[in-house]
Amino acid sequence: MAIISAQGVEKTFRQPKRQSGLAGAIRSLFSRDYTEVRAVNGISFTIQPGEAVGYLGPNGAGKSTMIKMMTGILVPTAGTLSVLGREPHSNRITNAAEIGVVFGQRSQLWWDLPVRDSFDLNRHIYDIPTPRFAENLTRLTTMLDMGGYIDRPVRQLSLGQRMRAEIAMALLHDPKILFLDEPTIGLDVVAKDVVRKFLAEVNRERGTTIILTTHDLVDIEEICPRLIMVDDGKLLFDGELKHLRSALGSRRRLKLEFGTDPGPITLKTAHLVTDEGAAKHFLLDSEQTSILDVLTELGSGHDLKDVKLEEPDIEEVIRTFYKNKVQAGVAP
Amino acid sequence: MKLAAYPAFTATAFQSRLAYRNQVWSGVFGELVFMFARIAIWTSVFSTVASDSVDGVTLPQMITYALLAGPVLYWDYSRLLRDVGTAVKSGDIAVYLLKPLLYPAYMLANHTGNFLFDLLTVTVPVAIIIGFTVGLVPPASLFHGLAFLPFWALSFGMLFLLTTILGLAAFWLMTADSLDWFFNSIMTLLAGGIVPLWFFPGWLAAIAGNLPFAWVSYYPAAIYIGQLDPSQALTAFIIGLVWFAVLLGVLLWLWAKARHRLIVQGG
Repeated sequence: MAIISAQGVEKTFRQPKRQSGLAGAIRSLFSRDYTEVRAVNGISFTIQPGEAVGYLGPNGAGKSTMIKMMTGILVPTAGTLSVLGREPHSNRITNAAEIGVVFGQRSQLWWDLPVRDSFDLNRHIYDIPTPRFAENLTRLTTMLDMGGYIDRPVRQLSLGQRMRAEIAMALLHDPKILFLDEPTIGLDVVAKDVVRKFLAEVNRERGTTIILTTHDLVDIEEICPRLIMVDDGKLLFDGELKHLRSALGSRRRLKLEFGTDPGPITLKTAHLVTDEGAAKHFLLDSEQTSILDVLTELGSGHDLKDVKLEEPDIEEVIRTFYKNKVQAGVAP
Repeated sequence: MKLAAYPAFTATAFQSRLAYRNQVWSGVFGELVFMFARIAIWTSVFSTVASDSVDGVTLPQMITYALLAGPVLYWDYSRLLRDVGTAVKSGDIAVYLLKPLLYPAYMLANHTGNFLFDLLTVTVPVAIIIGFTVGLVPPASLFHGLAFLPFWALSFGMLFLLTTILGLAAFWLMTADSLDWFFNSIMTLLAGGIVPLWFFPGWLAAIAGNLPFAWVSYYPAAIYIGQLDPSQALTAFIIGLVWFAVLLGVLLWLWAKARHRLIVQGG
């Protein structure tokens, strides 16, 4: 049975129109115009227990709104949403006891207290039996390497340390589902890597279902076999990451730099898009083509200095996909 | 969740305050300056009249009233107002909705921790210093001394309700700063925190004496120094309880509305 199921979920916000200037501010005290903003627009998906799903999209795509609805702190305007067999917002407290939530931009730790004390408060809030709490604490402290700072106040921690503590805190009560809203935002490469490896392991070893929003494709590659992509409140893609590129019709870009201009080059495995003389940009037509294929075809004898393969970034992928959808006549 | 979590919040709030130990010194110093200013005012007021009592109250009684109605009962509410206001404004209030707990109960537990901290580190030392330097009077009688305790508890609850209600108003006004100023002036006047109600003109005393603010400072302090006889005290306590129930209803209603607004409109 699905652990999360969304059927045609919509969320519309009614925002008062702000009129500019002092006169506008006074006018808006008496009469208010509202604009309807549709943040989530008819999203449907089901998620099975133990899955790790990346919820991907650019800023303002409605990712956080969807997470908030699944965690029960926002009510859908239309559609049905079921988490662990319940409607999240009308069972907020029961739902809250069985899920863990991490907001990258919002701390749940007690600012002035040592990390350990925040953890201990969670033991009370979620009524975690002491032996299990001790066991989880030891395991999480080791896995996330928090031993060095668990007794320091939260306000003294670096962002990377704090984020590890946030994630550990969300897992102390063994939630069935872990929601993470941009958990790697603002972290450096090393901290990102630690967080990603840890989440992948939690999903694999403990079977915790993970839903995470991000706009970083690497998060998805390392943690989530499945990807749900949204833009402008609508579902663009739901499937495995490896099918994304072909489904979205965007291609990898290859840059070859030469010491001296080798003159025009034509290849079967890649086609030239821009020729700057010593630097040439190619597009790889097929997913199966590797750099090796291209280099084999190119052969030796050229003064090749550098090879750079660029994955299309997510914004570009979405843009390409969105354009194609419109061109294909599918309603945007 | 267990009810045991709430005392844990109280302990946490207390502990968090220990992180800022220097605030204790500035707190004690500030309250002392404020107290000595009040004492100077009342001393000069009493020196202008021939008899040693005004409206049946002596200067030592008046100083005791000032201590009770000031630092003891009308203690720092602005921290609570700020906490609620900031949580609303920054949207952090959503974090509390993510946990299996009732936010107003959490705030009460938190507030209790702060109250106990201030009581031990500021109020008691200030009372001891004033007691030894200027002198304080004991309760008017055993009855008045004992009656002060339930009135004190009621005062604590009333201040919590009034402040939290005001803090939640930030949901609609989106700011708690101006509310702090507004609340401060209302409380200064109507709670009898500075000038006791018996010095008010009759009509204003009648109005103020029936508004909930008077139960924060005026009634408990007036009872301690014996301004109310047992039957008056009982009536005042019952009216206070009614106000308490009404305000509790208002708070829960307001919280339900605020939560609805939060989950429907996203804050």
